[in-house]
Amino acid sequence: MATRSLRVLAALVAALALTLALAVPAQASVIAPRAAHSPNADDIRVAYWVMLAVAAVVFVAINGALLFALVRFRERRSRRPAQVAAGRGAILRAAAPLALLAAAILAFGVIKTDDARHVATASAEPAAGASGALLAQVGLANPPSIPGVSTPPAATGVPGAGGAAPAGGPVVVNAVGQQWLWRFDYPQPGEQGPPYSTFSYNLLVVPVGTTVILNVTSVDVLHRFFVPALGGQVDAVPGQTSQTWFRADHEGVYGGQSTSYSGSGYSVMRIWVKVVSPQAYAAFLKRKKAEIAKAQGFVKQKISQQATVGGVKLP
Amino acid sequence: MTPTIAPARPELVTEGIPARRAGWIERATSADHKSVGLLYLGGAFAFLAVAVTELVLLRLQLIVPENTLINPVLFDRISSTSAVTAVLLFALPLAIGLYSYVVPLQIGARGVALPRVNLLGAWLYLGGAAAIYASFAWRPPEAGFAAMPPLSNLLYSPTNGVDAWILGVGMAVLGFVCSSVNMVTTLRNMRAPGMAWRRVPPFSLAGAVTSCLMLVAGPVMLAALTMLMIDRRFDGIFFNAIQNGAPLYYQHLAWIFFNAAYAAILIFAFGVALEVAPTFARKPLFSLRAAAICLPAVAALAVLAWMQNMYTAPIPNGFRIFAMVVSLALVVPVGLLFVNVIATLWGGALRPRGALLFAVGGMSVLSLGLAGELMYSVIPVGWQLDNTTAAQVATVDVLVGSGVLCGFAALHYWLPKLCGRAMAEGPAKAALALILVGAYAFDAFMFLAGVKGQPADIYKFFQGQGLDGLNVGASVAAFVLAAGVLLELANAAWSWRNGRAAGHDPWGGATLEWFALSPPPVHNFDAVPDVRSATPLHDIREFVRRRAAATGDRSPQAAPAPAASPAPEPARADPGTEGGAPVS
Repeated sequence: MATRSLRVLAALVAALALTLALAVPAQASVIAPRAAHSPNADDIRVAYWVMLAVAAVVFVAINGALLFALVRFRERRSRRPAQVAAGRGAILRAAAPLALLAAAILAFGVIKTDDARHVATASAEPAAGASGALLAQVGLANPPSIPGVSTPPAATGVPGAGGAAPAGGPVVVNAVGQQWLWRFDYPQPGEQGPPYSTFSYNLLVVPVGTTVILNVTSVDVLHRFFVPALGGQVDAVPGQTSQTWFRADHEGVYGGQSTSYSGSGYSVMRIWVKVVSPQAYAAFLKRKKAEIAKAQGFVKQKISQQATVGGVKLP
Repeated sequence: MTPTIAPARPELVTEGIPARRAGWIERATSADHKSVGLLYLGGAFAFLAVAVTELVLLRLQLIVPENTLINPVLFDRISSTSAVTAVLLFALPLAIGLYSYVVPLQIGARGVALPRVNLLGAWLYLGGAAAIYASFAWRPPEAGFAAMPPLSNLLYSPTNGVDAWILGVGMAVLGFVCSSVNMVTTLRNMRAPGMAWRRVPPFSLAGAVTSCLMLVAGPVMLAALTMLMIDRRFDGIFFNAIQNGAPLYYQHLAWIFFNAAYAAILIFAFGVALEVAPTFARKPLFSLRAAAICLPAVAALAVLAWMQNMYTAPIPNGFRIFAMVVSLALVVPVGLLFVNVIATLWGGALRPRGALLFAVGGMSVLSLGLAGELMYSVIPVGWQLDNTTAAQVATVDVLVGSGVLCGFAALHYWLPKLCGRAMAEGPAKAALALILVGAYAFDAFMFLAGVKGQPADIYKFFQGQGLDGLNVGASVAAFVLAAGVLLELANAAWSWRNGRAAGHDPWGGATLEWFALSPPPVHNFDAVPDVRSATPLHDIREFVRRRAAATGDRSPQAAPAPAASPAPEPARADPGTEGGAPVS
């Protein structure tokens, strides 16, 4: 009886292993996260795959033992249950490998956390000397707590932000969540804080191959900035600023979504990051600035004329 | 071997007391710990039915992209109440109710220390549940599962729904604290003679640990709720960012409590599994001492790991590392508890009855959820998967594995004690299969959707995100899961009146609750047993057998027939003691 059930069990396990072995290469894209397009997202992917493997091993070990016990030690007429309990030191012997596993994961986790937070400023074609100077200017000579608190001042004038961004120079953008959209402010040279002259809603445009420092905050409730291809989630908390960063390696549009429940419009609070060439980025900033200036000029003019816009009397 | 019906209470028979069915008023107002336990259990299983119904509704809306079946506001209302329903109105009261019923019996007490405080706790819980659900007649809460400010501030949630939520959750938590005060006092003062802490059975240990946990974490939540109420109604600025309050402060407090609740549910599951495994394997527990160390360790570490839920928040990185260290430290006690359960089963003669199968299934689903938690406790993985359906489903797995499956295992195990009748086995096996298939499929689909970036709590997703198939699968799996749960609940309701009469000791358990009648009389025991080991009922059986052998008494009452008393005497788990005349 025992050998038969063992054989059945072995066949089951073999079939399962075979299925998995065949399924994994074919379905690798199914269990894979969205492709990473930024160094910090790469680090997160590595952590994901390693921990997925660890979790799978732990799960299979526990469930294999449970299933085996259930099949192998089923009651039978001939079976006398072994009247044994833990001997001296049995628990310590079991605890040691568990502690080792925990310590190994911890070391791995600390390293990967550090990697993902470390702002990669090196670029394909670094402008000689520009990177360090720019970093010093925005207080990034030492990598900041990312996406930590550190409440950096609303981005001070960043030479790299306006006009043609020098390759490798970090671009600072402020992401401000509000019910239920994202506003992206692009601080221009000389702008110390809001109101900013250049901003966009829901669509963030950034230059390719350039480090983007993102200051994330909120003006009303909690939100969370998350573009899977470009790194991890970061909270937008009113009154506080979180920082994150990314450096997109390919031009294209990357989708994302707010991942912190913020009320009835939460599900449509989406994000698109459009990665363009530095030239197109400069053109975008210029065009946006002009359009916004024009629109604001129009409104100011109407206000000065005490006019109404769409039936609404302006203040 | 002809089965003989023999009373499992070998020595003392108090059948003379007529069993009277309690009226409704008596059921609701009796301060007897068994009656209070039944109040908790009735509420818990009723809200389990509500919670799975809510899960079905939410998954109906998410079955196809951009569905318009349930409007966003209603969806948010259901989603905002479903989580507290599952955790605070089902899983925690299930644990606390069973502790209230079983622990005094297990420790050989004739009652509890503070019966009316216990009853007050049950009433506060039921009142809190009524407050949350009564709000559906007006404006229900829609501020998310934990009502995180600023969304729950008056400015963003101007209706009274959040007030009802605060009131309801506050009452329920206060109720749990009341019952925990009673449980701690009872365990401290009312153990039978000889019931030293080292002999307290694992389920009672779980009760002790959970109660201490609630005494620590419950007031934290009450403080957070009070501050939130002051913010909303009395111009407070605790969490108001505009006036220099700190919205994150509420998150810290709420996560301390919810982590404690999570740990309490885990501890309940292991408490049940460590009772069921030795009884149904006919072996002694692998290590009672390890359980006595690991259960409190899980409680302490899980509470300290609260910032594991806040990896994405603007907190210093050192805080995150601290949370990761503590979360990973949990690997050791939780792993040892799994080792304890598996080693207890190893080499035994397993009776594949409902209780054991549900407990093993619960351990299996629980291990899946905890493997997920292990992943997300590594900071970068947390950054990627937190608040996606992948992280959400780990919580669901822990709830299904611990609350639902181990809850049903406990029901199978103790229903004979509660009402004298056993659960039907056939429907139970069908329900278990449905729940396991549903839970595993649900986990797979939700995990894959979360890996692709689907956030939790959204009321719709969009076409072209590669999520269509995964959501259909998750919805169907959720329906299967819900069908299994409802089937088992129906089985329990049917068995309560119509189940097979089970007698006083249907499983050959080693603990003292099987020494009492089924259902136990108000005073539990005519004679308080004198405890000599961690398996007192085995001692009693052995004593009766020895005496019968000595006197040549062959009456079925004196010598339990082999079929009715399937557990042979185990080796002492506590080698320093000896069996003997245990009845004082």
